[in-house]
Amino acid sequence: MDQFLVSLMNGVIYGLLLFMVSAGLTLIFGMMGVLNFAHASFYMLGAYFAYTLQDLIGFWGAVLVSPVLVGLVGVAVERFFLRRVHQYGHAHELLLTFGLSFIVAESIKLFFGNFPVDYRIPAALDVPAFAIGGAQYPVYRLLMGGIAIAMFIVIYLLLTRTRVGIVVRSAIYKPRMAEALGHNVPLVFMGVFGVGAALAGLAGAVAGAFYTTNPNMALELGVMVFVVVVVGGLGSLGGAMLASLLIGVVTSLAVSVDRSLADLFALVGAGAWARDVGGLLTLKISSLSATIPFALMLLILLVRPGGLMGEKV
Amino acid sequence: MQEHKSRGFRFALVPALGLLLSAAASAAPVKIGVLETLSGPQASSGQAYRSAVRYAIDQINAAGGWNGEPVQLLEYDNQGGPAGAADKLKAAAADGVQMIVQGASSAIGGQITEDVRKYNLRNPGKEIVYINVGAEALELTGEKCNFHHFRFSGDAQIRTKALVSAMKQANALGTRVYSINQNYSWGQDMERAISDNASAGGYQVVEKTLHDVNKVQDFAPYVAKIAASKADSVLTGNWSNDLLLLMKASKSAGLKVRFGTVFLDQPGNLANAGDLAIGHFVVHTFNAEAGGADGERFVNDYKAKTGHAPAFIEPQTVFGMAMVADALKRTPAEGGKLNVNAFAKALETAKIKSPMGEMSMRAADHQVQMPMVVSSVSKDARYKADDTDMGFKPVKRFSAEEASAPAQAACVMKRPG
Repeated sequence: MDQFLVSLMNGVIYGLLLFMVSAGLTLIFGMMGVLNFAHASFYMLGAYFAYTLQDLIGFWGAVLVSPVLVGLVGVAVERFFLRRVHQYGHAHELLLTFGLSFIVAESIKLFFGNFPVDYRIPAALDVPAFAIGGAQYPVYRLLMGGIAIAMFIVIYLLLTRTRVGIVVRSAIYKPRMAEALGHNVPLVFMGVFGVGAALAGLAGAVAGAFYTTNPNMALELGVMVFVVVVVGGLGSLGGAMLASLLIGVVTSLAVSVDRSLADLFALVGAGAWARDVGGLLTLKISSLSATIPFALMLLILLVRPGGLMGEKV
Repeated sequence: MQEHKSRGFRFALVPALGLLLSAAASAAPVKIGVLETLSGPQASSGQAYRSAVRYAIDQINAAGGWNGEPVQLLEYDNQGGPAGAADKLKAAAADGVQMIVQGASSAIGGQITEDVRKYNLRNPGKEIVYINVGAEALELTGEKCNFHHFRFSGDAQIRTKALVSAMKQANALGTRVYSINQNYSWGQDMERAISDNASAGGYQVVEKTLHDVNKVQDFAPYVAKIAASKADSVLTGNWSNDLLLLMKASKSAGLKVRFGTVFLDQPGNLANAGDLAIGHFVVHTFNAEAGGADGERFVNDYKAKTGHAPAFIEPQTVFGMAMVADALKRTPAEGGKLNVNAFAKALETAKIKSPMGEMSMRAADHQVQMPMVVSSVSKDARYKADDTDMGFKPVKRFSAEEASAPAQAACVMKRPG
């Protein structure tokens, strides 16, 4: 029971981290229609900026400032690159961000080297919150979860309860009408892109210290973030939250399931046969846990192509 | 006038060209091709192999090269996968490369050894030899073993045997061992080796886990599993992020287990792990402190030539290439060219003295017999790693005979001629 509880908590918090990164991606897509391949690169930039800044302004300062810097990078990318190719359609935007992700990864290697850097959580935060099931539960994990939840609430309120939110939503829904009413639509797009990038940067600054900060971190998380956004429904913030939690909990719980398809066959008396056949039938679920999200994505695309909470295809 | 001039030039050129061609036919320099992952996410290991091979080739050439000519080094980027490796192997063969050097990834090694075997069957007289400096999957010296493949690093059995013996002697192993590995040929070999050594190490494998390679970001669920198993120590063949994240997750869960690893000495690991690495074990092929004066000389020379101390897989690559140099020295030129089969026969009997001790090639399966050393991370280590205040303190040294594991029965070596 204890182990189940720990697994559940681990899953929820990992899911919340996935949400932090995918929130920006789904926002940008929902509002601008840009599928941003460089989004996970912003996550990586956040971690590296925080790593560089922590010696100068301390850990907390770094966690606060680095998202702002990443947001500025995002603004620059939108203003000077994306806006220029916008008129040529989405394929060009996609290719541009795809190229950008390579440039970011290679520049990081150039400046910080090919190996993980020494970015760690401060000793004061490296303490257990409580003990459960023979193991301690780290404070920092709870903190990451807290930040993600706070982020969700703030974005949600911002979009639904403020004037800025109304302008942003109208600029997305009917850009020409919003423009005719005197709103600066390009500025809104630039702002949305910057905020989306900053959110990823925040996730990077927070998670980079807990996991590892290395030149491959964008690649490692990037794929999973896309899975989250597809499963949740492109453009849906609530969907991203739901999908993140779902994927986090499923992967975490799957680790403790040492069963294979052969055990299922055993229920109908064909266990020996299945073990004899081997291959897929004897593969333990636990060894597949990182692959399950992809299977989930496939299933969603087949059954509900718009995603769990997506509007339309 | 102009016409005349150019004709004169042409006449002068022809004999010169002919001279060049005949010289090329009589004495062809040996071409060694490094076929490594030089770009993409796993480039860091590939570049480490390359830097070690460059160092070794410079040494061969400083000693006069082969047949009075410097040995040529060509570099090919396999882009991190077997498909790229197969492609670049063809390119290397077309370039006249006679030796392929590769180490990062057993998956790529498996592709190369098969391709080399087939190429040699189809092109008698133009053989290629595969110098494997780091692909450690057992099948390469087992079912897939062939005359033109030589391995200059350990394998799961060799590594685990040494690791278990040293950790047991240091009273760090306990009786309950958790085995966690990556789900591919190398990780599966490690899992088997950890079970095989249970009686020798006096432990019980409480649980075995295989997980996806380099896909898991959050190891907390695995750590919860380890905690629930009440293991004393964790043995793992994980490398790169899979090792770092696993150790970090267990530290933050306050787990009091000892890690026995194979790749903790990968650059960047100590810097990133920090104090949590202290007290954990690694089995590797070289430890400068254990190597004494010879070790120090090697470290200093390597540092002077490449700009960094030899770490991770670099020493074994340098030693392997030193054995290649030894065999080259004993292979006379035939018509100005290297006869690869004669070279491979010489390599079967190669024997050198590395800073760690005697090492030799076992002809039966082309698995090198090399000394191993088990170290633990400590602040008392003489040589610090990654600019931290920690390094690898030798715990136990194994001579080549002590470290050796028997040749696999699955290997049926077919020799030419």
